[in-house]
Amino acid sequence: MLEKLTQLREEIKRSLVNAVPESIEALRVRMLGKKGEITAVLKGLGQLEPEERRKMGVAANELRDWAQNAIDGAKAAAGATQQAQALSEETIDITLPGRRRGIGRLHPLTQVYGKLEELFISLGFDIVEGPHVETVYHNFDALCTPESHPSRDETDTFYFNDGLLLRCHTSPMQVRVMEKQKPPIRVVVPGKVFRRDDVDATHTPAFHQMEGLVIDKGIHFGDFKGMLELLAAHIFGPQTKIRLRPSFFPFTEPSAEVDITCYICGGKAQHEPCRVCKDSGWVELWGCGMVHPEVLRKSGIDPDIYSGYAFGLGVDRITSALYGISDPRFYFENDMQFLKQF
Amino acid sequence: MNIPMSWLRDIIDIPDDTLTFSRRITDAGVKVEGITTSGEAITNVVVGQIKSLERHPDADKLWVTQTDVGANGVLQIVTGADNLKASDYIPVALHGSTLAGGLKIKKSKMRGQESNGMLCSIGELGCTTEDFPYATDEGILVLPEPHPLGVDAKPILGISEDVLDIEVLSNRPDMNAVMGIAREAAAAYGFPFELPEVKVREEGEGNTESLVSVEIRDTERCPRYIARVVRDVKVAPSPRWMQKRLEAAGMRSVNNIVDITNYVMLEYGQPLHAFDIGAVALKDGKHAIVVRTAETSEKITTLDGAERTLTDTVLLIADHEKPLAIAGVMGGDNTKVHDGTPTILFESANFNPENIRKTAKGLGMRTDASAHYEKGIDPNQALTSVNRAMELVELLACGKVVPGIVDNYPVPRLPHTVKFNPENINKRLGLSLSVEEICGYLKRVGIETRENGDLFEAVVPTCFGSDWTEVDLTEEVARFYGYNNIPSRYVQRVTPKVPFQPGMSPRRRFELDVKQAVAGLGYYEACTYPFESPRVADKLLLPADDPMRNYLTLENPLGEDFSVMRTQTVGGLLEGLATNYAKRNGDARLFEIAWEYRPKALPPTELPDELPRLTLAAYGPDVDFPAVKGDIEDLLSVYVSGKWVYEPLTLPYMHPGRTASVSFKPHPKRDAVPVGYVGELHPQAAINFKIETRVYLAVLDLDVLYDLAKSAKTTFTPPSKYPAMIRDLAFTVPETVTAAQAEAAIREKGGQWLTDVTLFDVYQGKQIEAGYKSMAYSLRFSAYDRTLTDESAQKLMAVIRENLNRRINAQVR
Repeated sequence: MLEKLTQLREEIKRSLVNAVPESIEALRVRMLGKKGEITAVLKGLGQLEPEERRKMGVAANELRDWAQNAIDGAKAAAGATQQAQALSEETIDITLPGRRRGIGRLHPLTQVYGKLEELFISLGFDIVEGPHVETVYHNFDALCTPESHPSRDETDTFYFNDGLLLRCHTSPMQVRVMEKQKPPIRVVVPGKVFRRDDVDATHTPAFHQMEGLVIDKGIHFGDFKGMLELLAAHIFGPQTKIRLRPSFFPFTEPSAEVDITCYICGGKAQHEPCRVCKDSGWVELWGCGMVHPEVLRKSGIDPDIYSGYAFGLGVDRITSALYGISDPRFYFENDMQFLKQF
Repeated sequence: MNIPMSWLRDIIDIPDDTLTFSRRITDAGVKVEGITTSGEAITNVVVGQIKSLERHPDADKLWVTQTDVGANGVLQIVTGADNLKASDYIPVALHGSTLAGGLKIKKSKMRGQESNGMLCSIGELGCTTEDFPYATDEGILVLPEPHPLGVDAKPILGISEDVLDIEVLSNRPDMNAVMGIAREAAAAYGFPFELPEVKVREEGEGNTESLVSVEIRDTERCPRYIARVVRDVKVAPSPRWMQKRLEAAGMRSVNNIVDITNYVMLEYGQPLHAFDIGAVALKDGKHAIVVRTAETSEKITTLDGAERTLTDTVLLIADHEKPLAIAGVMGGDNTKVHDGTPTILFESANFNPENIRKTAKGLGMRTDASAHYEKGIDPNQALTSVNRAMELVELLACGKVVPGIVDNYPVPRLPHTVKFNPENINKRLGLSLSVEEICGYLKRVGIETRENGDLFEAVVPTCFGSDWTEVDLTEEVARFYGYNNIPSRYVQRVTPKVPFQPGMSPRRRFELDVKQAVAGLGYYEACTYPFESPRVADKLLLPADDPMRNYLTLENPLGEDFSVMRTQTVGGLLEGLATNYAKRNGDARLFEIAWEYRPKALPPTELPDELPRLTLAAYGPDVDFPAVKGDIEDLLSVYVSGKWVYEPLTLPYMHPGRTASVSFKPHPKRDAVPVGYVGELHPQAAINFKIETRVYLAVLDLDVLYDLAKSAKTTFTPPSKYPAMIRDLAFTVPETVTAAQAEAAIREKGGQWLTDVTLFDVYQGKQIEAGYKSMAYSLRFSAYDRTLTDESAQKLMAVIRENLNRRINAQVR
C-alpha cells in the first residue's frame, strides 16, 4: 500500500515537469477527481484493519494535501508563463503618437493678465473694465491734460470727432470709478488701449494696459513704490531690479516711470548694441505717480482728506519681457506657430 | 533732443564720464534715451610714429616708411606725402579700417612695395584745416604732441564725441535747451549753477533806438519783442566747431548768421529770427516793426517760397506796408538774409504758445521755432539769448553790433510764488525731512524759499512757468532726494466690504471660464484689432444697405485698413486664419472674446454700444460642421444642458445650407432666446479672405449667454443605483427627415425611463432605397427605483417603433 502511495507521488512529480495548464488539470482529475487514484486510495481505507487504516490514513491524507498544493502551484506558475507569453505577443510601439483631442491655449497676454489679477485680487483690489470708445472729457479733460499736451494731437490719438475718441490709456477708468465710488478705492483696470503708432518692430496701434488706482487716507509715494516692488517680484522674480525715474503725466504728481533691467541683454549692454533697451540696459514698463489733487477734486474727492496713487502697466511689454518676445506684432498675427508656444 | 557732451562740459564741470553722467541725470529726471558717438564711421585709425623713411625705389613721388603702431609692431607703409620726417606722430589707418566717405583700407602693394595700411591726411579723416589750424591741406596730419603708440586716434583728434539723446518732458520746456539740461545736471550733482556771462562788444555808429521802432498791437499774443542790429555783415560759412555741434544736434549748417540763430536756439531754447533790415519799410525815419494779427485772407510768401493765406488769428511780424514773417513760425521771403545783406535785425521775441500751436497746425508748417514756442518759453530769457547771438556775431567776426537795444516788454513776467506746507510734502512722500532739507532741494533748481506765517513760500523762477503748486514742489524734493531712496511701504490687506463683493466680478469670472473651456476644446485664443477696413464688409458679401455697414469711423486712422470700428467679430479671426493658411499651417482653430461697436446714431453723439461676442473660427482636416457644432454643444452644456435649439439660418457671409442659429428654449411653450449661430463660412467669402478651404465659424452673444448661465440653477439628482438597459434601434426614413424630428419622435413615447438618445450612424447608399436613409440610435433606459426587466424594455421599444412609423414614416430594420 505504501508502495502504491510512493509510486503516485513520483508520478505526480514527473507529470508536473514542464506541464501546461491543460495537462495539469488532467492530472488533477486523474489523481484527485471523484474517480481519481488518490481518491480511490482514501475511499479504500475503510476496508483496512484499524491499525493499518490509521497508519495508511495519515500517509494517504498527507499525499493528498501534498498533491493538491503541488498541482495548484504548478497551475499558477504555468498560467503566469502562458499569460506572459500572450502579453509579450501584444507588445506595441509605444513611441507611436497618442490620439490627441487637442487642447488649445489662452493668448499669452491673457495668461499674463491672469498672473497680474491673481496678485491684485489677493491684495484686495477689484477688477473693473471700461469702454474702448471714450469721451474726450474722461480721456483727457478730467485727467488735467493741458490742451497743448502732445497726447491730444491727432498724430497721437484716434478721434471719431471733437468729443469721442479711442482711449489712449486705461486712465479714463480712474475717473469713471471715482465718479461712482467713494474712497477707499482699490481697483485695477485691464484692457486694450490705442495710440496712433504705425505697426513696426516696437509698436502696434493697439496694446494692452492694466491701470491701477488706490485712494485712501494717508497714501504716499512709499506705498506705490512698495506695490511696484511686489509686482516686479511677482512677475519677474526677485532677481529683476527696478528703477524709478522722474517723469511727467498730467494726472499724477510726482510722476515716475518704472524700468526693469533689460530682458534681452540682462542689463549688461550699455555701449553694446541692444535693439530692445537701445543700449541703456533698462526697459520702460510702466508709468505711475501720486494722483494729482486736481484730478481728485474734479471727481468730487477732497484732496485734503484723501490721497492716492495710480499706475499704468504695459502688459504687452511685461509679456515680452517674460517670454523674450522681441516684436509686438506677433501678438496680433494669430499664427498658430506662435500661439502654440504658451 | 541731441546734445554733444562737449557743449555741456563747456558750461558745467562734469566729474564723470558720459555713461556715469547720463545715469546720474536720468535718475534725477532727465532721461537719456541713448548715447551715440559721432565719427563712428571712421574705424581702426591709431596713433603711429615714423621710425624711418626712404624714397620708393621705383617711384619718384612715393616714400616707403617704417611706422611703429604699438601693439601691431612696425609696419611698412607707402605714402605720397612730402611733409614727413622720422619721429613724427601721425594717424595710421590699419589694414581693414574705414575712413571718411566709406573709404576702406587694405594691405596692398604700391609699385612692388608692400604697404600695410595708410598714413592719413585731415581730409581722409573727414576734417579740414579749420579743425587743425596747424595742419596742411596737402600731406599727412602730423600730431603736434607725442601720444602712446597704437591707441585709438579718434578721441585725440576730437573726431569722435558722445552725443546724448535726451527725452524732453512736455511740462518742462526749460529742458529743451542745452542751458536747461546743464542747470538740471548741476542740480542732480548738487552743484551751484549760474548762466554763463554773456559779453557783447558794441561797435560802430548810431544806436538801435534811432534805427528801429517796435510796436506790439497784441500783447496777449506777443508779450515781448526785442530787436538788435548788426551792421557790415559778412555772410560766410560758420566755423567747423559750430557746424559740428549743429550737425550733432540734428541741424544743417547754412551760413554764419542762420547758424548763430540756430545755435542760440539750441543753447537757450529761444528761437531768433534774422531780417534783412533793408526790407523793413521806414516810418518816421526808422525801420518800423509792427506785431499784429493778420487780416482774413491776407497773404504772405514764406522763406520756403510758398504763398500762404492767413486767418485773423495768425500773428504777423510786419512793417506798415506788408507782412514780414509769420510770428514764431517762419520768416517771409522778402526779408530773407542773403550774401549781400549789409545790415541785419535780430528778433528775440516771446509769443503765446497756444496761438503758435494753432497757427503752425492750421498752416501745416511745424518748424523748429514753432516747436519751441509751442512748449512755452520764458520771456525773461529773450534778452540773454539775443545778447548771446551778438556775442557770437563778434566771435565769428561776421558783423558789427550796433549799440543799444529796442526791448518792448510791457508786462514783465515775475517769479511765481507758491505757498507750501513742508508737512504736506513729507506726507505725500512718506518722508520726514527737515524744513532745511526741503528748502535745500528746492534751491538746487533755483527755487528760493521763505517762511510766511504758518506756511512757507517758494519763489518759482519764471523758466518753470507760472502754474506750479505744492505738488510740483513735492516732485522736485522727491527728485533730488532720489526716487529710488524713498522707503517702500507694503500694502495692507483691506477689511472686506459688507456685503462682500469678490475682486473678480462674477461676469469676469464667467468670461475667463468660457475662455478656459473653449481652449480646452482645442481652440487657441487670438488677439485682433477692433478697427478694420470697410472692405471687410465686401469680403463678407454684405449688401450695400446692410446695417452692419453703419460704422463708427475714425477721423484720423492709420490708413484704410484700420479705419472703421468693426460691427462683427468674424473679420479679424478670418484674417488670422488667412495668415495661418498662407503659412501652410495644416489646421488652425482660433477664438476670441471681442466686441462689436454699434453706434447709437451717426454721426455719433454718444458712446456706442460695445457688444461682447465669443467667436470661434477654424479650418483643418478634422474641422467640419458637426465638429464645430459639437464644440458649441459641449461649451453650452457647461452652463445649461438641453433646451438648445438649432434652426437653419441665412446670413450673407455664411453657407446657405450649412448654417444654424443657436437659441435657448427654456420651455416648449416659451419663445426661444437667440444666442448666436454656427456654420460654414460662405465659400466665396473664404476665397475673398484668400482661404482656399472650408472654414467654420461660431458666434455667440456673451451677454445673453451670461444671463442664461446666471439664471441656470444647478440642481442635484441622485444617480440611479440600478443598472441601465441599452437598446439599439435602426430604421429607414425618407431622406428629408431631420435628426431633430427623429429624436423628437423617439422621445415622444420614450417615457420617463428613457434617459439618453444617441445617434450613432446615418447611412445612404447601397441596400437603401433611393430617397431614403438609414439611421441608427442607441437608447438608454434607467429607473431610479428598480432594475428594468427585459420585458418592460421590449414593450417600450415597441411603442417607440410604432410612433416612429406614424410620425416620420420610419421602417424599422
